[in-house]
Amino acid sequence: MSELLVVQDLTVTFPTTRGPVDVVRGVSFAVGRDETVGIVGESGSGKSMTSLAIMGLLPKGATTRGSIRLNGTELLGRPDRELRRLRGDQMSMIFQDPLSSLNPYYTVGLQIEEMYRAHRGGTRKAAREVAIRALGHVGLPEPERRVDYYPHQFSGGQRQRVMIAMALVCEPALLIADEPTTALDVTVQAQILRLLAGLQRESGTGLVFITHDLAVISSIATRVLVMRRGEQVEYGTAEQIFAEPEHEYTRMLLESIPRIDDSLDDPPHGSLIGSPDDEVIL
Amino acid sequence: MTRYVIGRLAGVVVILFLVCLFTFVLFFTLQPDPAVMICGKTCTPERIDQIRDVLGLNQPFLTQFFGFLGGIFAGRDYGEGANLVHCAAPCLGYSFQTNQSVMDMVVERLPVSATVAIGAAVLWLIVGIAAGLLSAVKEGTWWDRTAMGLALGGSSIPNYVLALALQYVLVVQLQVLPFPQAVAFSDDPVVWFQSYLMPWIVLATGYACLYARLTRANVIDTLAENFMRTARSKGLSPALTMRRHALRPALTPIATIFGMDFAALLGGALITETVFGLNGVGKMAADSIAKNDQPVIMAVTLLAAFFVVVGNLVVDLVYTRLDPRVRITTP
Amino acid sequence: MTVAAHPEQVAGPAPATSGRRVIRVLLRDRGAVLSGAYLALIVLMAIGAPLISAITGHGPNDFDTAAVNTDLGGVPYGSLGGISSEHLLGVEPQNGRDILARIAYGARVSLIIAVSATALTTLLGVVLGMLAGFYQGWADQVICRVMDFLMAFPALIFMIAILSALPQGNRPVLLVVVISVFGWPYLARVVRGQTMTLVNREFVEAARASGASTGQLVFKEILPNLRSSLIVMTTLAVPGYVGTEAGLSFLGVGVTPPTPSWGQMIASSVGWYAVDPMYFVIPGAFLFLTVLSLTVLGDRIRAAFDAGEAS
Repeated sequence: MSELLVVQDLTVTFPTTRGPVDVVRGVSFAVGRDETVGIVGESGSGKSMTSLAIMGLLPKGATTRGSIRLNGTELLGRPDRELRRLRGDQMSMIFQDPLSSLNPYYTVGLQIEEMYRAHRGGTRKAAREVAIRALGHVGLPEPERRVDYYPHQFSGGQRQRVMIAMALVCEPALLIADEPTTALDVTVQAQILRLLAGLQRESGTGLVFITHDLAVISSIATRVLVMRRGEQVEYGTAEQIFAEPEHEYTRMLLESIPRIDDSLDDPPHGSLIGSPDDEVIL
Repeated sequence: MTRYVIGRLAGVVVILFLVCLFTFVLFFTLQPDPAVMICGKTCTPERIDQIRDVLGLNQPFLTQFFGFLGGIFAGRDYGEGANLVHCAAPCLGYSFQTNQSVMDMVVERLPVSATVAIGAAVLWLIVGIAAGLLSAVKEGTWWDRTAMGLALGGSSIPNYVLALALQYVLVVQLQVLPFPQAVAFSDDPVVWFQSYLMPWIVLATGYACLYARLTRANVIDTLAENFMRTARSKGLSPALTMRRHALRPALTPIATIFGMDFAALLGGALITETVFGLNGVGKMAADSIAKNDQPVIMAVTLLAAFFVVVGNLVVDLVYTRLDPRVRITTP
Repeated sequence: MTVAAHPEQVAGPAPATSGRRVIRVLLRDRGAVLSGAYLALIVLMAIGAPLISAITGHGPNDFDTAAVNTDLGGVPYGSLGGISSEHLLGVEPQNGRDILARIAYGARVSLIIAVSATALTTLLGVVLGMLAGFYQGWADQVICRVMDFLMAFPALIFMIAILSALPQGNRPVLLVVVISVFGWPYLARVVRGQTMTLVNREFVEAARASGASTGQLVFKEILPNLRSSLIVMTTLAVPGYVGTEAGLSFLGVGVTPPTPSWGQMIASSVGWYAVDPMYFVIPGAFLFLTVLSLTVLGDRIRAAFDAGEAS
C-alpha cells in the first residue's frame, strides 16, 4: 500500500507565559491511499493539534518540527500561499461542531460553491450544480431546495452532512474528520459514521478519523494511533490494538467502552501536563 | 410579517402618545405661565387674561391636550370670527415667541439637522470602521495600541470642548476656516462646506472613536469563530476569507447601532448646533426651552421621540434582512 | 493568547474572580495606575477645596479686578489667561475670579452629582431589573414597558426641558434625580437578563429546594453573582454622568451660578475663546482627563474581570 500521508516525529510547540510547551511530541504515523486511520486519545491529548498541523491551520505563534509529507511533498515550512492551494483541494477537514463551523450568514450552497470555485474556478451556476450534486450525494433530500438554506435551518446531523459534502466537493486525496460525530445524537452518530465510511470506500480518499472513543473507530479504521498528553502511546493495525494492546493506557481505553463522557469541548491544557491518570478516564 | 409591522406601528403610536401626554402634563403643571412670559414687564392682569384666552390656556387640561392632538391629525382653528386662523394638519400650533407656525419652523430647520447628521455619519463610519478593522487585523501591534488609545481619548472629549478648541485653532489661530455661516449649498458650495466641516468633525469624533472600538472588538471575536477556521481549511484566499466570512458577521451588529445613533441625531444635535450657531432642530430645542416656548418644546420632543421610535422599528426590520437567523415570529 | 485561542487549551479550574486578584492586575497596569492617581488628585482637590482657597487666599467667588485689564474689556493681565504665582491657573476674564479655586469647588459638584447619580441609577436598576428577572410575569411586563418608554425618550432634550421647567429648588438633587430616571433602564436591562438566567441555574434551584426564603435567594445567591458586571457597569457609568452634568450645566440648566461647575465654566468661556483660550482649556482639560481616567479605569476593570472569567 503506497502511503498518502507520512507524519514523522512531529512536534508542535506553543509559547505560553510559562515558557514554550510541547502540545504534540514526536508523533509518527502514516495514512495509505484508500485507508482509514484512527487517532484516539482523551481531550487534550494533542490529536486535534496534530490534524491542524497537517492542514497548516495551527494558531499563530505555534512552531512545528519533524516532517509531514503528503503525496511525497513536504508540507512543513511551506509558505501559506502554497498550502492554501492544497487545502480544500488535496486535503480537507471536517470539524466537531457543524453549527459553529458553518458561517451563519450564508447559504450552505454558497459556502460549498466558494470552495469549489477557489480551486476549480468556473461560473457560479456551474458551481451551484456541483453543490446540489454534492448535497444529494451525502443523502440530503431535496438538494435543489436545500442548497439555498442557511445552516440554522438544518438539524445537527444534516449540518454535518453539509460539512462532509463541502469537504469532499473537490475530491481531496486526504480527509481529516476531527470528532465528526461527538456533537450529535447517538442514532445520528451511527448514520454519519456509516456515510463517512461509505464515501471513503467509494471515493478512495485517505481518511484520518479523530475521536476520543475507541468504539467509534473499531469498525472503520485499519490502523490506529493512540495519543495521550501530546505523545504517541501506541501505533499499529486495528487488529493488533484491539486484540492485544501493548500499552496499559490502551487497555484502559478499551476497558472503558462503553463510557460516559458528556464534555464536548476539550479540557484544559493544564490536565495535559500533570493530571493523574484516573482523571483522564472515567 | 405584515402583522408584525402593524403591531410594531401600533406600539410606536402608543409610545408617541405617551411622550406627548407626559410632556404636556409636565408643562401644564410645572412651567411658569407662558402668558406672563409673553406679556413681558409692562403687563396688566387684563392683558394676561386676554393672552391666556387667545392661546386657550384657560381651558381645562384635557381640552387643551386633545386640541393639540387633534391639530396634528386634523388641523385646528385658532381665535374666532374675523381673527380666525386655520392651521392645517399636521398642525403643531404657533410659537408663543414668534407666532410662526411650528410646523413651518420644523420643516425649515430639519434639513440643517439632516445635513449635520448625514455629513457626520459618513465621516464617523469611514474613520471609525477603517480604524477598528486595521486595529483588529494588527491586534497587539504598535498601531493597534495607538489607535485604541486615541479612540479612548477621543470618546472622552466633551464635544463642546472640542468645538471650542477646533474653532480656536482653525478659525482664530490658523485661519484656515471662516467662522461657520448660514449659507445654502446652492449659493456658495465652498463656504457651505467650510461652515459644516467643523460641526461634522465635532459630532463625528465621539462616534468614530466608539465605532472604532466596537469594530475592533467585533472583528476580533469573529476571527476566533469556528467558521473562520473552516473558511481557512477550504483554501480560500485571505482577502475573501476576511471580506466575506469575517466582515459581514462583525459589522452587522454595528449597522443596528448606527441606525439608532443616526435616528437620534436627526432629532437634533443639540450641543453641536448650539455651539456653532446652526439653525437646526437641536438649536430650536435649546432656544425654545430657554424661552419656555411650549408649542415648540412639544414639537421638538415629539419629533426626536418619533425618530428614535421609528428608527428602532426600521433597525429591527433591516436586521431581519442582514442576519438570516433572525426571523420574525408573530406572537 | 495563542494558547487560549484553541479550544483544546481553554477552560479548567478557573481561579476565583476575587476582588484582590482584580486589584493586583490593575496595579500592574500603567494606564489604570495613572488614571487612579489622577482621580485621587481630583478627589483630594474636591475635598480640600476650602483648604486650597485658604492657602491661595482666593475663594471661588472672590472678584479680583486687579488681575484683569478693564481697559481691554476685562482680559486677564499676563499671558496664558493670567497664570501667575498669585493665581496658579489664571483668572476668569472680566471679574478676575481665581480659576484654581473654581475648579476645585467645581470638582465637588461634578463628583458628587456623578457619584450620587450612579448610586441612584444602580439602586433603581438593580431593584427593578431583579424584580423583573426574578418574578417575571406581569411585573416583568410592566417594568419592560416602562424601560422601552424611557429609552425611546429623547433623554437630553427632555432632561433640559424638565430642568428648565422645574422650580429652582435644590439643583444638584434635581440633576441627580433626572439623570437617574433616564439612566436606570440601561442597567436594569442587563440585570434583568442575568437574573433570568441565574434563577434557573442549579445552585439557585438547590437553594430554593432546601427552603431558602426569597430574601436569601436574592441576597445570598443572585446578587453576589451580579457583582462583577455591576462593578463594571457602575465604573463606566460615572464618566458618562460627569459628562452629562457638565453638558447640562454647559447648556445652562445645571447647577446655578454662582456655584461653580466645570461645564458652566466652559459655557461662560464661549464668548472669550478667541481672546482668552485658557479660560476654556483649563476646565476643558480637567473635564476631559477626569472622563478619560474614569473610562480607562472602567475599561481595565472590565478587562481584569473578563480575564478572570476566561482563564
